[in-house]
Amino acid sequence: MAKNRLRSALSHVVDLKPGEEVLAVFLFLYFFFITSPYYIIKSLRNASYLSGLGDEKLPLAYFLTAILMGFIVTFHSRLQVRLPRSRLIILSLFFFFSNIVLFCWLFGQGWKWVPVVFWVWANIFAIVLVTQFWILVNDVFNPREAKRMIGFIGSGAQLGAILGGVLAGVLARKAPWLLLPLAAGMLGLGILVVSAIFKRQGQKTEEIDREARDKVAGSTKVGFRDAFQTTRQSPYLLLLAGIMMVTLVVSTLIDWQFNSIVSSSVEGESNLTSFFGFFNAGTMFFAFLFQLLLTSPVIKAFRIRGALLFYPLILFLGTGGIGLAALAGLVLLVPAILIKASDKSLAYSLNQSVRELLYIPISPEQKYKTKIFIDMFLNRFAKGLGAVILAVLLWLVPRAPGTQGGEGAIRYISLIVLAIIAVWVFLNFLIGREYSNLVKAKLEKQYERGDLMVTQRLDVDFTKLVFDTVESKNRSSLLYAMNLFDLIRQDKLTPEVRKLISYRADEIRAASLGGMFEQTETGLGPKTEDELSEDVLKKEVQEIMNLDVYQDVMKGYLERTVADKSAGSHVARMEAAKVIGFMGPRAPLVGKLEDLLEDESPDVSRYAIQSAAVLKRRVDVPVLVRKLKSPALREDAIDALRKFGPRIAGTMADYLADRSEEIELRKTAAAVLAAIATQEAADYLSWELTGARDTLADEIIDALDRIRSSDSRVRFAEEIIKPRISKEIRLYCRNLVDLHDGAKPLEEMDSRSKENKLAGSLWNIFKLLGLIYPQEDMIKAYQNLKVGTKDSTAYSLELLDNLLEKELREVIFPVVEDLSLEEKVKRCRDLLAGFGGGKDSRGRD
Amino acid sequence: MRIAARHKNDIVIFDIEGEIKRSDITDMTLHQLVKEQLDGGKRKILLNFEAVEFIDSFGVGEILASYISTHNLGGKLKLVKISKKLFLIFQVTMLTKVLDIYEEEDTALKSFF
Repeated sequence: MAKNRLRSALSHVVDLKPGEEVLAVFLFLYFFFITSPYYIIKSLRNASYLSGLGDEKLPLAYFLTAILMGFIVTFHSRLQVRLPRSRLIILSLFFFFSNIVLFCWLFGQGWKWVPVVFWVWANIFAIVLVTQFWILVNDVFNPREAKRMIGFIGSGAQLGAILGGVLAGVLARKAPWLLLPLAAGMLGLGILVVSAIFKRQGQKTEEIDREARDKVAGSTKVGFRDAFQTTRQSPYLLLLAGIMMVTLVVSTLIDWQFNSIVSSSVEGESNLTSFFGFFNAGTMFFAFLFQLLLTSPVIKAFRIRGALLFYPLILFLGTGGIGLAALAGLVLLVPAILIKASDKSLAYSLNQSVRELLYIPISPEQKYKTKIFIDMFLNRFAKGLGAVILAVLLWLVPRAPGTQGGEGAIRYISLIVLAIIAVWVFLNFLIGREYSNLVKAKLEKQYERGDLMVTQRLDVDFTKLVFDTVESKNRSSLLYAMNLFDLIRQDKLTPEVRKLISYRADEIRAASLGGMFEQTETGLGPKTEDELSEDVLKKEVQEIMNLDVYQDVMKGYLERTVADKSAGSHVARMEAAKVIGFMGPRAPLVGKLEDLLEDESPDVSRYAIQSAAVLKRRVDVPVLVRKLKSPALREDAIDALRKFGPRIAGTMADYLADRSEEIELRKTAAAVLAAIATQEAADYLSWELTGARDTLADEIIDALDRIRSSDSRVRFAEEIIKPRISKEIRLYCRNLVDLHDGAKPLEEMDSRSKENKLAGSLWNIFKLLGLIYPQEDMIKAYQNLKVGTKDSTAYSLELLDNLLEKELREVIFPVVEDLSLEEKVKRCRDLLAGFGGGKDSRGRD
Repeated sequence: MRIAARHKNDIVIFDIEGEIKRSDITDMTLHQLVKEQLDGGKRKILLNFEAVEFIDSFGVGEILASYISTHNLGGKLKLVKISKKLFLIFQVTMLTKVLDIYEEEDTALKSFF
């Protein structure tokens, strides 16, 4: 009850599923209770250093921080491997808590070095605790969950920053001795919250943590060098690091512009302090609102790729504005405020959130090694680099033409910033693409598609021929000999096959070709040194069959055989059907095949169909099509027609399109086109899909899917496929709503058949998606949605979110998202109303 | 190729020796020799392949042409002691259904009656 009320209250600002509300609140509070003490400490840090040592000693602080960060990274990386995550984080919090207590005493001693140590310590405090927070978020959430909740959770930092800053501002004059104890108290509350999180999450995070630590511990020595190497070897991590560094360089330059413009616009130290105070408070407030209300919706609407571009493009526009204003000699303060406010607020809200989302698909062992390195060390390094670049630019500025005066320098720096932002945008584009690849890699194919495996890996013709050969041994030595010859003719009489078909019946062996391939003598005729060369055999048989005199000799026999319908005569007709397949297509006796195709015996027909497939005479096509109606001969007929190839695609398309034909024949025509698998066949199937009814549509979709699997070069008309996807979604929604409203128990067949229809529609949707998107990705997404774990379902949805265009996403996600049945039915009703086919969730048409 | 003819009762037995192949140039082909006998009123022909070393499709064509000529005149042409290889070829081409093939000469001779 209380949880429902909590979720209901939070639903105004965050999209939570049942069971997520407590964790979301805990993480919000965790972030709050580490940020609020930091902003108290930060104020103390700056004040104590500047008043104790002065701003001219600041470079020393920067330098010491940068140097120490390398050691911190190494030390933290080693601790990560040795300690479980929960213990590491809680111990870190206790450590910093105890440090604050120590500093309470140290500041009282008045030693000069304390502010220096405090400065360095404060930076380490911030980096370590914030990085650990995001590592935990990475462990706990999959990409879908993170996208929904990151705005809310991240806003804990902004709120903490506001509170910490306000407390520091208010208490600094009235009760400065209270500041550090207050910070310690807040951190203590943070320890309690974190303990509760680990107690709640328990096994899940422990397992991920243990698996990653085992992998990392088993590899190389974990440390700074290892983290550097791991980052360097991964293009994705290099991009992450590069983007972070470019962002900080740009921020540094924009910061200089801002400070330069403000210092020339606002006079007097107290006015400046007041200005900065209000500016910082306002910026953090805006950052808080943006994080809470807009970050998740922006990420959801624009996806990772789009959200990545938000920040740099806004800065690009703002910097361009400043440059133009400087050129025009206009007042620069307002654009400077806008761009700096944008920079600071977006950096801590949208940009931070998107950056953390980019970490989620990385393997835990890579994260272990590199996140600390990138977020701690490279962060400081980049700020230092930005400072160096700024120093160089400012040294160059007086020398650059047209840069006299402050506006000149600002114009010049603006141009440089614009150029760096262009690089930044390019890197964002690259990482957006790599993110999709990384998400794909997280999805494993759950199972192989049996139907495709059979067609791709099994030579069905070969299998049938071996079967026929073995089976014919008992029927007829002649048939057996001819089947063996057929294997030779197709170069398929391998040693394995010989072994398979050899057997011990002497009387058959003696009279059969098989005897030639077995070790013992046949006793047939004189013993000769005649070696049976397969190539010679093929050649001679071919030549003999081409002889006119052969055709004359066999004519009478074949005519009698074909006409003989007495009991037991079917074997002779099978032999006749087989031998005709060895003749050339223009041989006079081939005409006898037509009678054999129509033979009453399915065995005779089957042999005749196989010969027709070899001869490929157009005149046999109508008979073969009629055989498609026969359940016993359907598969043989499909196979035979397939061998005709693209020549008969048009003929099969005619049968497919002929509404006067039986539906089963039309379906089989689709199967034949699938077997032919050319672009033309795909085009015929696609055209017919437009007006096809349900049962035929299923066959056509299946046929298109098989063509896609067999030849990735074939293209499918999007203008046909997309409307069909919408239609399948409509069918799915209608069936789902009917199933729901019907309120029938599942034991009843009607409901079960509807469930099967639901499953069928869903599979059709993904088959169709596989025609216009990478098929492998759609199959993985489908399989993981159907049988995967919670995480693989989330990654499937994330993959679809990244791949599908907006219009398709809007109609597909209500069908595939992990929602309750009620919610799904509601969304389906809304979809149907949108399609114009039903009532919406409020019962309106 | 050498072909010698002998008679047993009214059966003509052709003992064929050597190779029957396209590239061989002989005075008389097998078919011509058979036709000669048919023209002489003989209607029972037995071809003995015991000493045939090699036969190609041309040779088979000669056999078949001889068969047709004999059959058209109401006669019978049979084969004896053909090689394993030739028998296998006859099987694959279904000629075993049309041609009478024997392993022993006595059995073949008896089959004419």
